[in-house]
Amino acid sequence: MDPNTTQILAKGIAQGAAFLGAGICMGIGALGPGVGEGYTAGKACEGVARSPEQAGLITRTMLIGQAVSESTGIYSLVIALLLIFTT
Amino acid sequence: MSKKMSLKTILLIFFVVELIIAFFFLGKTLHFGSQKDTGKKIWFEEKTETMNQEIDFDIQPDLYVKKNNVDEPWEFTYGSKWLYGKFVKMFGDGSAILNFRLWRMLLYLDIFIILVAAFIRAKSSKLPSKIQLIFEMIYGFIDDLVIETLGENRKHFTQFFFTIFLFIWLSNWTALLPIPGISEPTRNLNVPLGLGFMSIALVHFMSLRKRGIVDYVKGFCEPIFIMAPLNIVGEVSKVISISFRLFGNIFGGAIITLVVSSLTHYVIVPVGLNMFFTMFAGTIQAFVFTMLSLTYLSMEIVD
Amino acid sequence: MVLEADILKVFLYTGAALSTGIASLSAGFGEGYAAAHTARSIMRQPNASSVLTRTMLISQAVVESGAIFALVISMLLLFGGFTQGGADWAKAFSLLGAGLAIGLGCTGPNFGSGYSAARAIEGIGRNPSKSGRITANMLIGQAITESGTIFALVVSLLLLYTVPAQMSEPSLAKMIMKACAYITAGIVIGIGTFGPGTGIGYVAGKANISISKHSKDQGVITRTMFLGAAVSESTAIYALVISFLLIFVS
Repeated sequence: MDPNTTQILAKGIAQGAAFLGAGICMGIGALGPGVGEGYTAGKACEGVARSPEQAGLITRTMLIGQAVSESTGIYSLVIALLLIFTT
Repeated sequence: MSKKMSLKTILLIFFVVELIIAFFFLGKTLHFGSQKDTGKKIWFEEKTETMNQEIDFDIQPDLYVKKNNVDEPWEFTYGSKWLYGKFVKMFGDGSAILNFRLWRMLLYLDIFIILVAAFIRAKSSKLPSKIQLIFEMIYGFIDDLVIETLGENRKHFTQFFFTIFLFIWLSNWTALLPIPGISEPTRNLNVPLGLGFMSIALVHFMSLRKRGIVDYVKGFCEPIFIMAPLNIVGEVSKVISISFRLFGNIFGGAIITLVVSSLTHYVIVPVGLNMFFTMFAGTIQAFVFTMLSLTYLSMEIVD
Repeated sequence: MVLEADILKVFLYTGAALSTGIASLSAGFGEGYAAAHTARSIMRQPNASSVLTRTMLISQAVVESGAIFALVISMLLLFGGFTQGGADWAKAFSLLGAGLAIGLGCTGPNFGSGYSAARAIEGIGRNPSKSGRITANMLIGQAITESGTIFALVVSLLLLYTVPAQMSEPSLAKMIMKACAYITAGIVIGIGTFGPGTGIGYVAGKANISISKHSKDQGVITRTMFLGAAVSESTAIYALVISFLLIFVS
């Protein structure tokens, strides 16, 4: 193979690997926040059922907790977008 | 013999008849009409299509027509050449037959629903007949749901949700009619997508009317305004999830029924499959669609 | 660089097998969990056995829909006529990706859906008089749990039908890139819906059991469930966005 072809091929492989990385990053990155936020919301449901008069407070706490657990998901999204668009 | 046959007896008779038919006519198809060469009214033909072709013909009739170079494609629509020509002009070669089927089924279904409604209205009385009782029961059930989720003062939404439920339910059940060319409208993706879009558009319109334009736009910028594109994607995904759920279930049921019946030469098995996929899953999916659009609405307008 | 039909068949058959195989595994778990809790509840409340059995059948039908989607994709892979006309490596990988997407993608939602059904049945066993409310809530919960499966179905259908069979200007480098992008599009939605699926299932399950305990607060519980589930779903939507980008932008 002449060096020019090798260079183009290497570029293609690198781009493909970047896509693969983006997918795996977002895929596995979505696992943790999904389960965590679900657990939070489940417990919030229980809490609302026990003391419905505190529903507003519980919902607010739930949303704050979920927003924090969400952040790792957003990091994955950012990395995946970077891998897709900047490589 | 007692007046009412038990279900077991009916099933047994059915089974025996099916077995006899299967024994004598396995691998043949029954045709009605008039045969071109002999002029017979009812005749049997050896089946020549493979399963692959059968599936192609059922879910992609236009592709089937193109692949096999059929001379008279309008015969597959069970309609006239003139109408087929109109549809080709409107939708092109690629989806004329599918669109023809869909439009005809929608027309039949709408006429049927209007006629039933007119009939029940004309015959309604204090002492309800059986059919009136069935529809009153469904209406009452949905009315209860609406009052429970939206509140007593928003009772006027019942009509909308009742119509949606009835339409989806009846269109899922059309698969029970063993007439060639008849298929569920919900099997075509356009119908569920249109219904889903309608429901979500209603939700957004009511939300806009209740909260005013400023608060409505602010709702998209939560928690911070950078997230607005993702919030919009989330709203679009509501339409996708609500409509593809219906489409996937009905389409899946249809394909599985087709393939398994083709493998078993259409003996007995289609009945059970139709009972599960059409009657049971069809009803549940119609209810889920109604329930979801109702809940999305209540999320926006109930405080 | 058109593939031979036999090599393409390897991809088609592998995709079809993986899709239905993985999906049935999780659907079996979910339905079995629901059935086990039905048995337990009937043991406690033999009088309510008919309503419990009915709820079990309804919930299992909903859990099953994930496996049905996977079966449809398998059937389309096997009988959809993809071997005719030839296909290149990128299309072959996109077909495998379609199978992986729906197969992996309905795993989490199926577990979650089964969990939600089991909690609903447990609730009905405790409080049979409120079975209508609990069943309605269970259906909503399972429906929103399954949205991950539906995202996966959409991606699978896109990979099957919008990816061209042969590239316009084929080159080896581009082919490798595209092949990676398509199979990753399947994997990302497959793994990405696992977490949200199980999470939303947990929310729905807890909401069901809460309604059986405090049935007069059904409205506020359902609303909290919906809010929590909508937030948990956002990661699945991120995965869907990445998947779309990989299919269309790459």
